[in-house]
Amino acid sequence: MDKITKDEALKIASFTKLTIAADEIDSIVAQLQDVLAYAARVEDIAKDLDIPTTKNINRQRPDIIVPFDSKKILDQAPDAQDNYFVVPKIL
Amino acid sequence: MNSLKFATIQEIQSLIDTKQVTQEQVLDFSLDRFAQIDPSIKSALQVFDKQSILEKSSGKGMLAGIPGIIKDNINQEGRIASCASKVLENYTATYDATVITRLKEQGALLVGRANMDEFAMGSSTETSAFCKTANPWDTSRVPGGSSGGSAAAVAAGLVPWALGSDTGGSVRQPAGFCNLVGLKPTYGSVSRYGLIAYASSLDQIGVFSKTVYDSALVYSVIAGRDEKDSSTLDLEPRDYTKDLTGKFPEGLTIGIVENAMNATELDPQVKTVVDQAIADLQSAGVKIKRIQLPALDYAAATYFIVSRAEAASNLARFDGVRYGYRSPDIANLEEMYTKTRHDGFGREVRVRMMVGNYVLSSGHSGKYYNNAKNVQRLIRNEFNEAFADVDLLMMPTQACPAFKFGAYDDNKLQMDLQDYFTAAVNLAGVPGISIPCGFSQDGMPIGFQLIGPHLSESRLFQVGHAYQQMTDWHTKNPNL
Repeated sequence: MDKITKDEALKIASFTKLTIAADEIDSIVAQLQDVLAYAARVEDIAKDLDIPTTKNINRQRPDIIVPFDSKKILDQAPDAQDNYFVVPKIL
Repeated sequence: MNSLKFATIQEIQSLIDTKQVTQEQVLDFSLDRFAQIDPSIKSALQVFDKQSILEKSSGKGMLAGIPGIIKDNINQEGRIASCASKVLENYTATYDATVITRLKEQGALLVGRANMDEFAMGSSTETSAFCKTANPWDTSRVPGGSSGGSAAAVAAGLVPWALGSDTGGSVRQPAGFCNLVGLKPTYGSVSRYGLIAYASSLDQIGVFSKTVYDSALVYSVIAGRDEKDSSTLDLEPRDYTKDLTGKFPEGLTIGIVENAMNATELDPQVKTVVDQAIADLQSAGVKIKRIQLPALDYAAATYFIVSRAEAASNLARFDGVRYGYRSPDIANLEEMYTKTRHDGFGREVRVRMMVGNYVLSSGHSGKYYNNAKNVQRLIRNEFNEAFADVDLLMMPTQACPAFKFGAYDDNKLQMDLQDYFTAAVNLAGVPGISIPCGFSQDGMPIGFQLIGPHLSESRLFQVGHAYQQMTDWHTKNPNL
């Protein structure tokens, strides 16, 4: 079983766009470790399996634009101006 | 109005049809029950005002004048849809989910928003950002989860039916904990349009009710093909209550999943009660066959991987840009994302997203995600092979009776393993229904689940209804 280190937990948090507070890192590492250790049992059974994937059929529908009120959508935004969502400066 | 107390949909319809009560009186009764009882149960995040409830319903149809409550991850236009999360605390749905459209068309009265585990992640409704819901049978215990608010509202007799969602057991397990019928339909039989996603390949909207008849009735309204959800199946609308004869189908064979009955995860009290239900079915003439589903022991692990992977992807959209919460006092875009998501999501949701990204990351996806998808195919095959031999499968719904608040605070993995008996059904995409079958020594409800092949809902309803004709477990109510 791979051991999850604090650095690894912080790396996963970073690409999940999350931070981990100092006072929760130990318990989060422990929880990640527990779940992943349990989940790893799939390897025991899966290594001898060769089951072909089933074919899924995509249902399609005509691509028709349905008009909508953009104000209703923008009203939900934390910050909006004119017809745009506003975010902090990137550069 | 005593006749309305703990009344089923079928009973209320009969009272309305015979003009003993009006639709408005039924609604008043439900709203009064919420006002009196829900402060101690906390099943609802919000109960709507009477006028707006009536205005949104057609007033006629298969559920005319019948009040129900909706899990707060299903969009109801003009109402908040919070997923019991701070991230969506003030999010107002801009459209109706397809199930909501159909319920309104058929006259249902949608009275409120039910509490749930945050983003449907949990088995106790304790991860809600807003409140903990109590089990109406014992308020020191949880109602199960993640659809715990929906279950508690029906069990407390506040409404006769509710919608939940079931990704790994989130309708069936709380139904078992609260002495209710809980239906997890075939994947693709009920539209997910407007259901806020947790794990899209497993999520399915389900029904809580006191009887199988009521479950069949609500399912008749919500099931069927939807152009807005490309994963729905070609299923024509029909009235499933018409199939309910009260008798077991001729020559019915039920397969008892032996390794589930003997699992170390199973509380002996649950085993005793389910064994009795098996004996009752046998004496009613049902053929019982003992079978093994060896891959079941790997279902929870497979479910952990697949559900977390999909959750990590689905919940990436909550970034503080287009809707929902945005953390104040942020210096730059990156900080907006990370602070918003850290402060907006509860711990369980954050951990599940991290597990999801871990099992999908390069270097780990082969070991976890790819293997899990392989085991998922094995589980599906085992179910299919079993259904070549038996009509339906039967096993416990729940590992144990409803537990006390905080019982798993120090052991989250044990909480996750509440899905042990239910998750395989989602992984196989087949339908399952949990049915009350008795009580533990201290009076907590216990249920068994019947599982059928794809689109076998009609058969599940027939058998479940026949079982309820010869037992009275479903008629028992908490002292409220």
